[in-house]
Amino acid sequence: MRGAALEALHPALWRAHQLGRHSERAHSSGFPALDVQLPGRGWPKRALTELLLPHPGVGEIRLLAPSIASTLREGRLVMLFDPPACLSSWALLQLGIDAEQLLVVYTRRPPVQGAAPPGLRGAESHVEAGGDALWALEQSFKSGHVGALLAWLPPRMQPERLRRLQLAVQAHDGPAFMLREAAAADRPSAAPLRLALRSAGVDRLAVHVMKRRGPLLAQAVQLELPPMVSAEVAAEADLARERTAAARPLRQRTFEPRGRRIPSV
Amino acid sequence: MLWIGLHLPRLSLESFAAGLPPQAANEPLALLDNHLIVSANAPAQALGVKPGLKRATALALAPQLRLGQADALRDAQALSSVAHAALAFTPMVVQPPADPYGQNRHHVLLEVQASLRYFAGRERLLQRLGEALAPLGHRVRVASAPTAQGAAVLACLAKARQPLHCADLPALHEALAQAPVWLLGPGREHWDALQGMGLRTLSDLRPLPRAGLARRFGPELLDEIDRAFGDKPDPRVPVSLPPLFDSRLELFARADTTEQVLHGAAVLLARLVAWASAQHARVRSFRLLMQHEPRHRQRDGEEPVPDHSTLEIALAEPSCDAAHLLVLLTERLAQVQLAAPSLELRLHCGDIARGAAPNGELFPSAKSEREGLTRLIERLQARLGREQVQRLVLTEDHRPERSCTTQPVDAANPQAAVRRSATLDPDAVSRAVAISAVRPAWLLPHPQALHERQHLPLLDGAPLLILSGPERIESGWWDGDPIARDYFIAQQSDGALVWIFRGRLPLADGPGPGWYLQGRFG
Repeated sequence: MRGAALEALHPALWRAHQLGRHSERAHSSGFPALDVQLPGRGWPKRALTELLLPHPGVGEIRLLAPSIASTLREGRLVMLFDPPACLSSWALLQLGIDAEQLLVVYTRRPPVQGAAPPGLRGAESHVEAGGDALWALEQSFKSGHVGALLAWLPPRMQPERLRRLQLAVQAHDGPAFMLREAAAADRPSAAPLRLALRSAGVDRLAVHVMKRRGPLLAQAVQLELPPMVSAEVAAEADLARERTAAARPLRQRTFEPRGRRIPSV
Repeated sequence: MLWIGLHLPRLSLESFAAGLPPQAANEPLALLDNHLIVSANAPAQALGVKPGLKRATALALAPQLRLGQADALRDAQALSSVAHAALAFTPMVVQPPADPYGQNRHHVLLEVQASLRYFAGRERLLQRLGEALAPLGHRVRVASAPTAQGAAVLACLAKARQPLHCADLPALHEALAQAPVWLLGPGREHWDALQGMGLRTLSDLRPLPRAGLARRFGPELLDEIDRAFGDKPDPRVPVSLPPLFDSRLELFARADTTEQVLHGAAVLLARLVAWASAQHARVRSFRLLMQHEPRHRQRDGEEPVPDHSTLEIALAEPSCDAAHLLVLLTERLAQVQLAAPSLELRLHCGDIARGAAPNGELFPSAKSEREGLTRLIERLQARLGREQVQRLVLTEDHRPERSCTTQPVDAANPQAAVRRSATLDPDAVSRAVAISAVRPAWLLPHPQALHERQHLPLLDGAPLLILSGPERIESGWWDGDPIARDYFIAQQSDGALVWIFRGRLPLADGPGPGWYLQGRFG
């Protein structure tokens, strides 16, 4: 009884064996299996969410697509900072995201290869690397009008800069995803929620919760992503992987999975 | 008729100080004309510098005195900005011609009888006027009277922050009776003679025979007294607003840093806002010219220093908020490397949006959010460059490299769909999505060549496992960029999916045969 009263004292209080709560309703991730493991049952608002990826393309877009799509449906803006490659509008449409509503901000390099840097940016040398990215993120957080924000942070970002972002994000009414390299897992971070993403087979994603307001989670959460290949092919591929794992020297089965022959040129 | 007289006792000094670095405001300053001190600020006066002293005497009294040359043109520019700010309250704003006798007599007169009701009375009007004049940074003495000349004379008598008010002619007569005669323009040259005759105030002058006065001191003196007391009609010509804004500010300490430039630009922006608010307009774009110090001696191999550099600032949403304009200018200036120290700033503006600004809102709404986004994007574009804030565009092209295109965002409507202007129809898009094949979210702008081992592609040294394919994507002869490729979905060793292709034909300018990485399934 006393315990219950203790937790009710303040929304920031929680017991170590329970999940933390948030005063505001969190933004559902669209994956029920993941939601139950997140404090507040979804992506937190007004806080940084760190996603650590070994390389782009493990399924992060498909993981975030439901929350991006629902934010856009509410009529709010979604901003992407420094995506590592071109985003395909048609692929996003297939995931239910109206790609034309997204705003992409490049703070590090010109968006079009070969195009001259616009305006007067040529002469600058005093601007430190990543400074523009931080400034732009901070401005967007502080404006409080952005619905959701995805940022691919420069590598080897210092923890104090992240702490500054974590302070600025308090004004941001929506989820804020910081996508970083997997090597950042060893370094401390001010983000209250840190997830390491890893591919777990065809159209499957393993989400390892590294840090959250709540007890440690030893096991990674396995998520089924929207399929890109048919179920049989996926099953076959898994079987093949198991087989290669069992017998390494076995020759990789690669060419023509469906028995068709590809003429070699 | 109700005239409001604005007297600016320190206008010359203040317009001179605007070009000085901000820390110089509390240093002794004085203006020279013809080697004589014509005005000095409070720190200089505390050291004994006063108008009428010779230059050498003043420098002996205060060696650290900063001296400037009096410049009638500079004063006129500052004064016309005050008149512009006043034009927001009434069309009848008068800027009396420069006083040939007194350097420091700067007036602006407003006829406000017709505006009183709109601005809810004289008190509220004066308060609003004070707020409008505050950004220009001048000290103002205010008086109101039924005659224009009376208001001008009384404004000189008014104390700071205590407006003198005469509601009717008897009150005006009473107030003017105490005014010293040297406040009248034509009275100044005869000041010694008048004093010698024991005529100190206007009440001493008025009962005297008019013919005698006119013969001794000229008809202008009588004329001015009559107009001040309301005995004679006093038609005035209102100032007209220039169609283009152009104001310059000489920097007396050469500005090496952007902070110094910004300090001067803030003054010019305040003048710009006064000019725009006079016509109830908002600024859409403006241009700042920085005149550079000429460098006569040039080192070898060095590029010649341009004589000026220009900053063009365009706003997505017209604004009349000097603070917002200054923020935009700050972001742009922070990105610029000044070629040389600036000596003079010029601000041009001819691009305005007429009409009142939209109303502000108390509670956040969709409209205020849109406005906030516009400002955010404008700031991002001001610092990063317009091209750096992009929007994805749906392009109907089967070639992967051509299907991902972006275009710079128009800050005014960040969320407006581009599709409205393009020919794509939403139904057609959803149908196309339903039937189209699977595409990866990440596309490499240029395909990355993959190594091969026994005709099998390798990525990061590990073989790829092909899951499905081929999907043949071909041709494009109509725009000279043909492709002929077989696309496969493959799996990396860690389980992630990638999109690879193999070139079918050795095309002249495309990538040759072999395996290439085109995209990743994000």
